[in-house]
Amino acid sequence: MSFRFLSIIFTLLLIAALPWLLTTGYWRGILVLCAMNVLLAVSLNLVMGYTGQLNLGQSAFFAIGAYVSTILMKTYGWNFWLAALVAIAAAGLVGLALAAFAVRLRGHYLAIASLGFAVITYQVLLNWESVTEGVRGIYGILPPVSSTVGLFYLIAGIAAVVYLLLDNLVRSPVGDTLRAIREDEISAASLGVDAALWKAFAFGLGAAIAGLAGCFYPGFVGTLVPDAFGIVESFTMMAMVIVGGMGTMVGPVIGAIVLTFLPELLRGFGELRLMIYGVALTLVVLFMPGGIIQALLSLRNRMRP
Amino acid sequence: MSFLRAERLNKSFGGVAAVQNVSIAVPQGAIFALIGPNGAGKSTLLNLLSGIYQPDSGSLQFDETNLIGSPAHERVRLGIARTFQKIRLFKQLTLLENVLAGFHVHQDLPLWKCFLPGGVGRFRDEAMDLLAFVGIGNRANDRAGALPYGQQRMLEIARALATRPRLFMLDEPAAGLNAAEVDFLLKRLEKINQRNVTVLVVEHNMDLVMNVAQRVFVMDHGVALFEGTPREVQANSRVIEAYLGGEFAA
Repeated sequence: MSFRFLSIIFTLLLIAALPWLLTTGYWRGILVLCAMNVLLAVSLNLVMGYTGQLNLGQSAFFAIGAYVSTILMKTYGWNFWLAALVAIAAAGLVGLALAAFAVRLRGHYLAIASLGFAVITYQVLLNWESVTEGVRGIYGILPPVSSTVGLFYLIAGIAAVVYLLLDNLVRSPVGDTLRAIREDEISAASLGVDAALWKAFAFGLGAAIAGLAGCFYPGFVGTLVPDAFGIVESFTMMAMVIVGGMGTMVGPVIGAIVLTFLPELLRGFGELRLMIYGVALTLVVLFMPGGIIQALLSLRNRMRP
Repeated sequence: MSFLRAERLNKSFGGVAAVQNVSIAVPQGAIFALIGPNGAGKSTLLNLLSGIYQPDSGSLQFDETNLIGSPAHERVRLGIARTFQKIRLFKQLTLLENVLAGFHVHQDLPLWKCFLPGGVGRFRDEAMDLLAFVGIGNRANDRAGALPYGQQRMLEIARALATRPRLFMLDEPAAGLNAAEVDFLLKRLEKINQRNVTVLVVEHNMDLVMNVAQRVFVMDHGVALFEGTPREVQANSRVIEAYLGGEFAA
């Protein structure tokens, strides 16, 4: 039995056990958020970690998934799964369209373009009141599964499937191509890689996965307001990717788990919470440039004789 | 019939004419050298031929196909590959991953299969052969950035060969190599040429040029100066003048 197979079994058992280790409704809610954050971090990592495109607009695709699915359900009475499919497609297509323009920009310019897109999306949610209800918000949204534990199993299961699909993808020739673009675009072009096409592919796929995560958010919270999709959310996702370890599959998952639970564990510190959180983030970036996963790997290498 | 034919190519950068009215015809099967003093426009010409730059004017054909307007990545599919003067490896990737990326245009795995287990390419053995061919087969799983300079040059050659070129252009492949490495490079270039690959090499190392090239094309100050066999180039007074200054010319 391969290491990979054993890891999959272990992870699935862990997912199954978690709601029975954290039994209060509050912590089970955190688990649901955590599974959603894993999806978001993994989706951003495909663009940032593997394709090397700084993307500060991931919160916008999360928002598109949430609003499109909710509006289809609440206003048009669609079934959750059908609405989710359309919402995922919408997020992916908007991502592709943005990428078609943005992939011509590199480095800071792409970052600014994607950031701009997130700001615009937020403003649209706020001001297009006839559709989004603006700051008043949309209320009484039902999740696809009524129990919190069921919702956790559903989202974690989907996250696991998405993880495995992407893990296969980055090991495939497509993964070689994306990494080549990340390392040196001109060099990749000299090998026949149409960098604009593949960057758009990664961007669109990442957007679709963020949209998928967005479908579950409104039902979990029960209400939908634009404030859940401010650009700070984009930075939080980026922090998960970087703290965990950009450009590895496991890293961002660890990052998402740590950055979901850390603020909760620090609640006892009251006002000091945000400061401790900020200092911890800074220390990780300063002293573990490869993220937690890199630190763990080098620790393992040092332990070996 | 010429394999690669450029006519009256021009390229300026902000008023500086890097390449002026250069016409060049590379015959199929040759090892063709492009030489000239620093700033002669050799690298710019190579960038025009490989599609990194588009010319301001002029025509460019490869094997009867018009290349004007065709971006670099499309020219690779026609069988044109290149290496860079300043080495451009994927430094964080392993040697094997570098070469595997070179097979991009030959991948025929459908996209959806890449999401499934076992969707790995079928080029691993060929990539290992290429690494062995350039003498670094024993380091396949090391990071490219960790290689010594000379081996980085060889890795770049292996990676470009993965595209299976018919025309292989190298920009100063001997720069920074020691004598033994130059000797090895020279032998590899001849081997590559024997496999029916036309070689166009920009080079400063005269030993290499005079030993392997069948034709030599000389540039100076952005214009074509002379073309001939290595012997003719060595005897040409204009070439000597360009390299050494007027008073040395016979």
